[in-house]
Amino acid sequence: MALLSGQAVDRLAVPRILVGPKTRSHVKRRAARCGVYVVLTVAAVLCVFPILWVILTSLRTADSAFGGSFIPSWTEWTPIAYLHAFTQAGVGGGLVNSLLVTACTICLVLFVAVLGGYGFARFAFRGVRLLYLLIVSTLMIPIAAILIPLFLEIKTFHLLNSLPGLILIYTATSVPFAVILMRGFFQRTPGELADAARIDGATEWAVFLQVMLPLVRPAILTLAVFQFLFSWNEFLLAETFLSSPSKLTLQPRIYAIVGMYSTNWPLLCASLVISMVPIVILYALIQRKFVAGLTAGALRG
Amino acid sequence: MSVQLPTGAGVTRQMATGGLSQPAGVPGHSAAPVKESRRRFRVTGNGAAYASSADIRARAMGYYFVFPALALFGLFIAYPLVRSVMISLTQWPGFGPSKFVGFANFSAMFSDPVFSTAFFNTIYFTVATTILQTAVPLVLAALLNARVRFGAVYRVAIFLPALMSLVVSGALWALIYEPKFGIVDSFLDSIGLHALAFAWISNSATVVPALIVVSLWQSAGFFTLIFYAALQDVDQSLYEAASIDGASAVGQFFHVTVPMVRTVTSVVVTLNLINGLKIFDIIYVMTGGGPDHASESLSTYLYSLAFGGQVAGAVPAVGYATAIGVVILAFAVLVVIVQQFLASRRRVL
Repeated sequence: MALLSGQAVDRLAVPRILVGPKTRSHVKRRAARCGVYVVLTVAAVLCVFPILWVILTSLRTADSAFGGSFIPSWTEWTPIAYLHAFTQAGVGGGLVNSLLVTACTICLVLFVAVLGGYGFARFAFRGVRLLYLLIVSTLMIPIAAILIPLFLEIKTFHLLNSLPGLILIYTATSVPFAVILMRGFFQRTPGELADAARIDGATEWAVFLQVMLPLVRPAILTLAVFQFLFSWNEFLLAETFLSSPSKLTLQPRIYAIVGMYSTNWPLLCASLVISMVPIVILYALIQRKFVAGLTAGALRG
Repeated sequence: MSVQLPTGAGVTRQMATGGLSQPAGVPGHSAAPVKESRRRFRVTGNGAAYASSADIRARAMGYYFVFPALALFGLFIAYPLVRSVMISLTQWPGFGPSKFVGFANFSAMFSDPVFSTAFFNTIYFTVATTILQTAVPLVLAALLNARVRFGAVYRVAIFLPALMSLVVSGALWALIYEPKFGIVDSFLDSIGLHALAFAWISNSATVVPALIVVSLWQSAGFFTLIFYAALQDVDQSLYEAASIDGASAVGQFFHVTVPMVRTVTSVVVTLNLINGLKIFDIIYVMTGGGPDHASESLSTYLYSLAFGGQVAGAVPAVGYATAIGVVILAFAVLVVIVQQFLASRRRVL
């Protein structure tokens, strides 16, 4: 690095925010550069260390979790806690329920939001503006604010403690965000294509299904990823609406395990690790889409 | 809300068009009919208008498309919202007849010490996490943007906690804070600071800061990513110009980086405010609002009043709990209004 000319250092190696005036000494710049690495390394370690610790603890036997060195020797590693997480703590049931709820919610939300988004983007029916503003105004409403009336309503429908009930609530509370998102995408599609199809005699449904829908395929994937993250991580509604152990989705199941196995750290840690796996896999597979979905989802109340 | 999202993160640009305060984009109100003659149906979106009866029929098609969304919205969002306000004006144990009491539930809050704690904690938590979870990610993103080696490794490492749910994060940190075997106190022990080892979340003085740390850990990576994406779009010549003018690294951060990502910062602040206001998962999992209500938030207090049963004694106070929900709602509306106000003022200036 020191072999490069001052200008080259500026252009290539020195952090952009740290490029000082040309009169500053290289020593000072290098010190600043070291500082950048120190801060980033500390931050990265603080972020990763707790996760690493949980993984290491999950590989211990139940009686060796307390005390002993931080990293157990290879010979002590055992996957027994993972076995117990499935056989005793019921993590498997939570996984299955969560997958079921998540898959159904994604399908339903996509169906409702694609139709709704298209309707709001491309049709000027009476009241469209008012209805859209109504939906938009509820975007940021915290779930807690409507939790009790929702509970009473679901009770009236006899859907308490049932996965279909939870799927219905997840879908409905996702509607404002999902419709707004899809409407935005449909508005950006070129209207000329649809018009051309209409001139050729296509019906409105054909225009929608064969022309418009393929155009927003990337958006549909983004929404699906976001909806996956929401349904997978949601806790308050699941904890409120589900009660019997066999019905619990993953997050309330984790909460129950925290209460039941508070002294069995390897089992507890194994359950936490298992619950992270699907999300980590999804992230590894479709990193960019994942981030897009997460960013879009952040807007949801 | 007319939130401007960071560009470069796929969906975000489209989100901005779907944003709230964009009446100009609402179909049917755009001007200038174009190429009227050849269209059988007139469908909006790109500035078309309606004229014939065929157009009206085409317009009505819209109702079919939006019906499922509207039905779900009306049934499970609009109606519960209205009902929420109605229940908050009653005294009701959750069953049997309810009694209309006007604003008695709201005035009762002033003399309820647990409510005061929950109220104070919610504000405290919201303000602290908003400041921390905006400032720390902004600095980290600026550092990551400094063409570091292994930048991708740092980015993934810092982002990793964002993959955990709040429940998992809470459960994980409950172990970390555990006074005998958790890593915080083990670490303090090992460097000879045994005196500082401490039951962080079972002491009323340290519990809320301890929860704030968990929130920061879980969400810093995500906001860092948002800021980082925004910084990719900042014109590099600005830094060069500032450098030539003699601005130091810190000076460039405050005079170039901070102003250039201002819109993204306002989005991050809004998201943090809203997330802070509804804080539930972390507290519920880690402390359940304890010790002795010291870490109660509005959401956890609402939940324990309506579904927990133990707080209000034998009878669940559903009317009162719903009134707390209305307070949370009022806060959220306030945040959105302030954000709108600031955004509109910025546009004028």
